[in-house]
Amino acid sequence: MSQRSAFRVDVLEGARIAVFSLKANRLRTVLTTLGIGIGVATLLAIVGIIQGLNTSFHKQLATFGANTMYVSKWPWMIKGDWWKYRNRKNFTLDQMHRLRTLAPFVTAMSPAVSRLSDVAHGGEQMSTVRIQGVTHEYLNISGYEITGGRFLTEADDATTRPVAVVGADVVDGLFPGVSPVGQSIRIDNRTFQVVGTLSRKGKMVGESMDLLVFIPFKTFYSSFGKGRSFEIALAVEDASQMRSAEDQLTGIMRRVRSTPPGAEDDFSINRPEAMAKTYEQLTGALYGVAVGVGLITLLVGGIGIMNIMLVSVRERTREIGVRRALGARKRTIVFQFLMEASSVSAVGGLLGTTVGLGTAKVVSLITPLAADVQPMTVVAGVGFAALVGLLFGIWPAARAANLDPVEALRYE
Amino acid sequence: MSQASGAGPLIQVENITRVFHVGGEEVRALRGVSFGINRGEWVAIIGQSGSGKSTMMNVLGCLDTPSSGRYMLNGKDVSRMSDDELAVIRNVEIGFIFQTFQLLPKETALANVELPLVYRGVSAKERRARATAALEKVQLAHRMHHRPNELSGGQRQRVAIARALVSEPSMLLADEPTGNLDSATGEEIVRLFEQLHKAGHTLVLVTHEPKLAARCPRAIRLSDGEIVADGDGRTVAMGTASDVLNAGGA
Repeated sequence: MSQRSAFRVDVLEGARIAVFSLKANRLRTVLTTLGIGIGVATLLAIVGIIQGLNTSFHKQLATFGANTMYVSKWPWMIKGDWWKYRNRKNFTLDQMHRLRTLAPFVTAMSPAVSRLSDVAHGGEQMSTVRIQGVTHEYLNISGYEITGGRFLTEADDATTRPVAVVGADVVDGLFPGVSPVGQSIRIDNRTFQVVGTLSRKGKMVGESMDLLVFIPFKTFYSSFGKGRSFEIALAVEDASQMRSAEDQLTGIMRRVRSTPPGAEDDFSINRPEAMAKTYEQLTGALYGVAVGVGLITLLVGGIGIMNIMLVSVRERTREIGVRRALGARKRTIVFQFLMEASSVSAVGGLLGTTVGLGTAKVVSLITPLAADVQPMTVVAGVGFAALVGLLFGIWPAARAANLDPVEALRYE
Repeated sequence: MSQASGAGPLIQVENITRVFHVGGEEVRALRGVSFGINRGEWVAIIGQSGSGKSTMMNVLGCLDTPSSGRYMLNGKDVSRMSDDELAVIRNVEIGFIFQTFQLLPKETALANVELPLVYRGVSAKERRARATAALEKVQLAHRMHHRPNELSGGQRQRVAIARALVSEPSMLLADEPTGNLDSATGEEIVRLFEQLHKAGHTLVLVTHEPKLAARCPRAIRLSDGEIVADGDGRTVAMGTASDVLNAGGA
């Protein structure tokens, strides 16, 4: 018999016996399958939910634009002493203009200041709407698009016009079925004329990005007082040079702010894309722990398989002896038991995948968490389960193959 | 018979020993056994419990290898073969018939008979045809879709004989083939052996029963791991009164 046909016999006969034996011991098969299935389900549900979180986070982050930065008084994710940042001096418009002249790689720049206010039109009112004072270039930095009318102009800002560009949620809330452009709204009892509407961005970490109104920067200060500090929002030419742009900006800002050498920066440069890193560190740890739990569950399932395979080998000692006497080689016996172990696991993996995906789906339906399972995860789930079966099947299979045929035939 | 070619005896055993180590002690089950068996012979290997006949049967069946000596089977030296090579030899050269039948309980008679062909890589269609033919030879074709527990003892042993015949081996090696059968059924099986012998099959029968050995044209008597008699079946089997008296002790 050639090597190839011998191998074919090993695989075909191994598979046939495996299926036969799994069918013969249905209850045992189901229970063993469950062990692996639960492991895979746990793993998949967790991975799915975390992947979903990541995907939605990155999607939202992408709407910011990959090439935007915010020079602010404080970092978006504050670590340590809040008062240190609070005591920093506010930026001035003069500083912003000097920054602009000194940083030619900046393609768009706008001051940005905001507050939460009530907004009303006719009988309708919305509360905690984000009011942002910005200039005309902010449109290119923010990643919004104009869906009706126009954005703020330089002239709007220069002459402190009471005009407003409204977000999609505000349109829905205040102007159901009406075009808002040309209408007036009241922000904290000051009247503004709507000149444009914004495209919808959706939610970011659970918060709507569309419940907002843009008004000219100078109008903001003249309407709501100069007490609030502003951030400098900017976009740079090349998204791949963010790191070096950040370094250059830091140097320029220190000059502009006259920071003494050796002193700490009295400003923070925030990059939405850098925020992702902090976020990933955070979820990464969670991911690690969760995957660890899933793996332990799988391990337990694997031990279950090993246990049942050892029982199976013992139960079938005589059968192994008969097969060996009739010409089965050791390898054929090994294949037989490995096939059995890995097919139980693969079925468990498939079951677990279904349950895991279902769980992730249910979670995404009843909670704000959006589960997202990538096809590779499913393939990996089933494949990994089969691998677990294979690994934990090796020892029982080797034991079966190494039985002395004479002893095995005599086994009662 | 498939392997009827080649000169010389089918089986040539030369000065074979088999030593077991049991708990630090040496047990010499075979102490230098030599004999030859020609194609078409029907030979009984007889001896009491502990005589070494089971060890002899395991060595002849290539389930065990001798500690020293040479075993030539069908022109091949099998005494130094690897485990895998021995598996192939068992598959091709030997048809086993066991006292306890050793059928796979969950498989049908047909599937049981097909098994040696599976390990030889024979296609499913040809397997089925050959297994059916083998079952016909033992008059069990009508029961081929039954499982062993639906068959009588005699029928089970006939399935086992069909399984041994299906691969057309050089020899049939039977270990106490009537040991688990009542005398009438046992007689049926012995008649079947007689037919197979007439058809030219080489048969080696290991037994402790003088009556059974007496039916064989030739018998080899083992005692304490050595050959004490080799000759006409009836003469060797009924050789001494003490042998006959002690024969029931296995």
